[in-house]
Amino acid sequence: MFHYEKKLQFPVRIATPNPKLAAFIISQYGGPDGELGASMRYLSQRYSMPYAEAKGLLTDIGTEELGHMEMVAAIVHQLTRNLTDEEVRSNPAFAPYFVDHTTGIYPTAASGFPWSAGSIQSTGDVIADLTEDLAAEQKARLTYDNILRLSDDPDVNNVIRFLREREIVHFQRFGECLRLCKEKMDARNVYLTNPAFDKIQPRATGQG
Amino acid sequence: MLIENNGTRPSTTAASCPDSNGTLPSCAGLAVPYVPFQQNNPQKYAQSEALSNGTLFPGLNLPFRLAVEGSSLPNTPLAELQALEFVLLELGIYLDTHKDDAEAFRMFQQFSAMEKAAKAAYESKFGPITKESAAAGDSYQWLCDPWPWNYAQNEVK
Repeated sequence: MFHYEKKLQFPVRIATPNPKLAAFIISQYGGPDGELGASMRYLSQRYSMPYAEAKGLLTDIGTEELGHMEMVAAIVHQLTRNLTDEEVRSNPAFAPYFVDHTTGIYPTAASGFPWSAGSIQSTGDVIADLTEDLAAEQKARLTYDNILRLSDDPDVNNVIRFLREREIVHFQRFGECLRLCKEKMDARNVYLTNPAFDKIQPRATGQG
Repeated sequence: MLIENNGTRPSTTAASCPDSNGTLPSCAGLAVPYVPFQQNNPQKYAQSEALSNGTLFPGLNLPFRLAVEGSSLPNTPLAELQALEFVLLELGIYLDTHKDDAEAFRMFQQFSAMEKAAKAAYESKFGPITKESAAAGDSYQWLCDPWPWNYAQNEVK
């Protein structure tokens, strides 16, 4: 189960509202490579993992991603606080989001596409899932790179830099985890079976 | 094991590569990805520097566009608590793939104790962070502002 802690992982204090920037940053909440997808991906994949390291790592990183979702939402919330009608009217980047959600937090990509489980996978296969996770961390990292290109607000960039670095650390850990899992599989042919599903391990047929 | 040659993994050898390098097997089976293993007992930042950089490990700190300085942190009791908890979280994830690093586990134990004390001290002054500790006060304080996403919780107190 989960317990809530009434604080963020990293301080978010945005001095100046900026709805245009919020309209980009919402992508890391509900976009294809955002934090909602990351947490759902890892917390879903963990159930079929046959090895303790993978169960532990997916649980821990999936939980951290829930905290990142909250941080991204906090950025968007603070960037859109105390707006006037005129500020919204004069902001073509934010107005389409505003018409549907006012200043509520909604999981959507910056392009307007609502969050979709179609952007994540849980295959029930150890190597496929962990390889997807490596790619997912890279996609999130580059989205943060692009946000850093678009934003010149130091308060926002403080937080974005932190979140971006977490993707690099997670990539490293998923890579290590994949190697730990691989060591438990057939040494000659890691694709001989799917240890998450096949209960009977056939005799190795590889050469050497 | 035949292919990856586990005996030479970092847990059993002294660190011979620079801290920002990890180890790869000398022979590696084809058709699977290989990320180098971070070596045991890697260099570590102090806690506030770790939170500021987004990682406990200098070897993994790879910022965008050569921004060498970490993020600036507010000088608040909350940020101090966040720094302690961050080290604990980072070590926990590290230990998931380096469970035999005894030095990291000792540090994990040490920071766990420090975090527990710091959280209790913070809560006694600023109100409950967990529902559990909301029962400790004279009245029900859980609903009191500020909530984490409000600008105010992150202001200097």
